[in-house]
Amino acid sequence: MMTSSTSSGVTQAHASTSPAVLSARSVSLGFGGTPVLAGVDMALHPREFVAVVGASGVGKSTLLRALTGLLAPQSGEVEIPAGNDPGTRAWSMVFQAPRLFPWRRVRANVELGLEGLGLSRAERRERAIEPLTLVGLDEYANRWPHTLSGGQQQRVGIARALAVRPRVLFMDEPFSALDAITRRRLQHELIALRRRTDAAIVFVTHDIEEAVLLADRVMVLGGHGPDQPARVVETLAVDLPLDERRDHPDFAPLVQHVEARIGEH
Amino acid sequence: MSLAMSRSRRTLYSALGLVAFVLLWELALRSGLLPGSLVPLPSSIPLVFWYELADGIWLDVVRSSLGHYSVGLLIGSSLGIAVGVAAALLPRFDALHAWLARLLRPIPPLAWIPFAIIWFGINPTAAAFIISIGVFWINYFASYSSVRSIDPDYDEVALAFGQRSFVSRLTKVNLPAAAPGILGGLRAGLGQGWMTVVAAELFGIPGIGQRMMEASSLLATDIVVVYMLTIAGLYALFDFLFMLIQRRLLRWQP
Repeated sequence: MMTSSTSSGVTQAHASTSPAVLSARSVSLGFGGTPVLAGVDMALHPREFVAVVGASGVGKSTLLRALTGLLAPQSGEVEIPAGNDPGTRAWSMVFQAPRLFPWRRVRANVELGLEGLGLSRAERRERAIEPLTLVGLDEYANRWPHTLSGGQQQRVGIARALAVRPRVLFMDEPFSALDAITRRRLQHELIALRRRTDAAIVFVTHDIEEAVLLADRVMVLGGHGPDQPARVVETLAVDLPLDERRDHPDFAPLVQHVEARIGEH
Repeated sequence: MSLAMSRSRRTLYSALGLVAFVLLWELALRSGLLPGSLVPLPSSIPLVFWYELADGIWLDVVRSSLGHYSVGLLIGSSLGIAVGVAAALLPRFDALHAWLARLLRPIPPLAWIPFAIIWFGINPTAAAFIISIGVFWINYFASYSSVRSIDPDYDEVALAFGQRSFVSRLTKVNLPAAAPGILGGLRAGLGQGWMTVVAAELFGIPGIGQRMMEASSLLATDIVVVYMLTIAGLYALFDFLFMLIQRRLLRWQP
């Protein structure tokens, strides 16, 4: 099953009645006069998983930063309504490199986003152990980051992002720096993790298989030439059961379709 | 043959070098190769040290030197770190003081002695002032460059996790990330401070330097050597203690 809608970027597949946890309207952004993104629209509903794919350098990470406000869009607007729970943040992020603070122990790294939310020290500790358990690293809470493997460090990065109970979790090529075996394992952990978190996920990757494997929707970002800004060229819904996608007969054709769309742009 | 040496063998060689040096020195004097008026007999030093100690002179002068040393070190280090970190983080402040720093930096601490005397008189405050100047610059440059070289990715992490205020980024990212460089500066300042202590005391402020000048005017070279060794010993002690603290603070490093 796939539904496509060119340019608008919003499919009808998830037109649920619940309010969007993220809505972006005609977001455009450029660096020093060079346009990078033009007119990106996006709506994200609770628990939804959207993958953003595109050729390298097309502006996927830039889009992520424009959506979070880490980079200010030149025009358009993004809204990520904050939840009602004071102990949470509207969004958080997992980066390509783990980017843990080496001067903090694992637990203190996970607590970073919880600082300044009005939680007591004991509450923060408790809230940090919870996601660490979820990624299977609760026994590593007192370790220094450099004593962990790359895959474990990235898991801590995921725990740090989950600790703030975000409404939207942004993941910027989170597995691309890992070796193939670890990457595969973390992909499956992420599938399992989705059942235990309410966060909607925006997942940037250049790995099309990964996108089709994990996402409910795949957004293809492409430009129309060297100096042309990127826009959403297609959004397609991936309507396959999450558990055995790789073996599903529709998996390979979907991947090929996305590949072809990226090749065109 | 391997170029590496076992640790114990290395220690042995180092000790051997030191003993041989002292022995040669002693022999050169006893055989008349060196005139005794220029350098003291090494074997006489322990007794002279004991006399200085028994008279209470040693403790007196060491205590007053340590007094200006610690005050100068404290003021120079804290101002140096504060100004260096501020310059690295605040572009306007950086630009504002850049030329002033470039103008003042090459002036050696001892060139401030005339002003130190005019402003404070010949007293411990003047010595502390002179010491603080050298220490200031070392800490200033170490802090400035280590804050400047922090990976901007850490800043993005702090922002992504809601740590937006200047103070929380300072305490959660900038200071801990720059800590290795800042501590390196502090340690270098510890040594630089000792160098200026003695020089600052040579013009009459009570302390180790003054005692050395007194002794040299009486040609008591043995007393001079006692205090030279005192300086070396105290420096080694402080450096060792600081290293312990540094290692503890940076235990997160691989």
